[in-house]
Amino acid sequence: MLGRAANTLAGLALLSATSCQPAAEGPAAEGRTSARSAASSYRGTLLPDPIQKPDFVLPDTRDRPFDFQARTRGFVTLLFFGYTSCPDVCPVHLANLGLVLAKLPPEVRTQINVVFITTDPDTDTPERMKEWLAGFHPDFIGLRGTLDEVNEIQGRLGLPHAVVVKSDEGHTVGHSSAILAFTKDGLAHLRYPFGIRQADWAHDLPRLVQEDWVDS
Amino acid sequence: MQWWCFAREGAWTWAWQPIPGVWAFVLSLGLVYHLRSRHWHQEAPGPGGLSLGWRKASFYGGVLLLWVSLDWPIGPLGAGYLASVHMLQFVLVGVVAPALLLVGIPEAGYRSLPGRRFYPFLRQLTHPVSAFVVFNVIMTISHWPGLVDRLMPTQLGSFVMDLSWMFAGLVLWFPVIAPVPHGKSLHPLYKIGYLALNAFLIRPPFAMMIFSAHPIYEIYELAPPVGGVDPLADQQLGGAIMKIGTAWAMGAGVVAAFFDWRRAEEGGRVGGA
Repeated sequence: MLGRAANTLAGLALLSATSCQPAAEGPAAEGRTSARSAASSYRGTLLPDPIQKPDFVLPDTRDRPFDFQARTRGFVTLLFFGYTSCPDVCPVHLANLGLVLAKLPPEVRTQINVVFITTDPDTDTPERMKEWLAGFHPDFIGLRGTLDEVNEIQGRLGLPHAVVVKSDEGHTVGHSSAILAFTKDGLAHLRYPFGIRQADWAHDLPRLVQEDWVDS
Repeated sequence: MQWWCFAREGAWTWAWQPIPGVWAFVLSLGLVYHLRSRHWHQEAPGPGGLSLGWRKASFYGGVLLLWVSLDWPIGPLGAGYLASVHMLQFVLVGVVAPALLLVGIPEAGYRSLPGRRFYPFLRQLTHPVSAFVVFNVIMTISHWPGLVDRLMPTQLGSFVMDLSWMFAGLVLWFPVIAPVPHGKSLHPLYKIGYLALNAFLIRPPFAMMIFSAHPIYEIYELAPPVGGVDPLADQQLGGAIMKIGTAWAMGAGVVAAFFDWRRAEEGGRVGGA
């Protein structure tokens, strides 16, 4: 209980009250050069301690249970938390990723999963998520749970909890802007903060597919 | 307070925004012209064959074009959201509007320009060779991704960018349109060659925008989406607008120079090179 409260407090401290603020992960906080780890050939940020792929089951946009660990085993899996009415970070991140994926050769593209988990389950219906995600790439997978379930998963990944902020003009959801990249070894070695560009994805994705992390 | 359009954070909104710096800029330009034009009398149509009324229409048309290009919504859209609108702004602010402003000044206006002591410098600057170099260097540098990504997020940077375009455009058109400071007008054949070269030249920014595999401008690639436009397609459209818009404006200049030449030959007067 204390852990959840601490996570929520940390999340509140990190997230802006405006919208999907890049919560100390974006280029403003991190700088473009430091996002490109000098220690690796990747343009994403190398995590000092790789994160274990979480084990959870959430319904997908067809309301069928999606076993995250089982269904993504053997794939490079890019995991992102966001919401469909996000005005800035989510659509830009997913659009850039989708556009690069569409240009990758099929033998690379078919080894990559993109999983999106909504942080605004009250608004994001399965139909709405399905239509929104299809606008970026037809293969993007959308998952939806309760906000508690989603925050619990984010907590396991070391991400701040999503925070819904209501105002007269509507509502926004503060959430992490980083995409976690799980490789075939079941670990996330890299994360991609907002500010990652199409050229960066085009550079990293084929490498992630080939990567075996033997030397890591 | 936003006084000039720049790349702001946050999603694009169609809610009107006041841009007082743009209003002050265009109003000052129009006011200075109005005050000076009161001393100009109807002159006999000279090279270009335009009456004072048409010249005034041209100048105020240029001012209007500047206003439309720099104010909401084109100003903020071009500053921070769509590369294609940014390139449209370049064509309007840096190519079309300067031509209209220069055409709008009659010969008497040029001859009464203050600061005659700067004529030697102006003569050097507006020589066709240096004007060609100045325009193309400013045009290339001001579209360089590293510079655009650094200048556009600030009001001062964005203002400098717009002014540099306008300056480059004025320098570009000066040897073709203005009767000073070279004393005599450039021969129409040279004007046509000069404009045609500028029309057909493939400049580095155009090549980068069209042929790059990925978006080259960070501010437009990472800007909140407007109408679901793919940033690369937007950039390529921007390249096409820049190329076609510039070529079209130069083409209009070639046509004008050709008819001016014909008129001058019929009247028995053609300037030297």
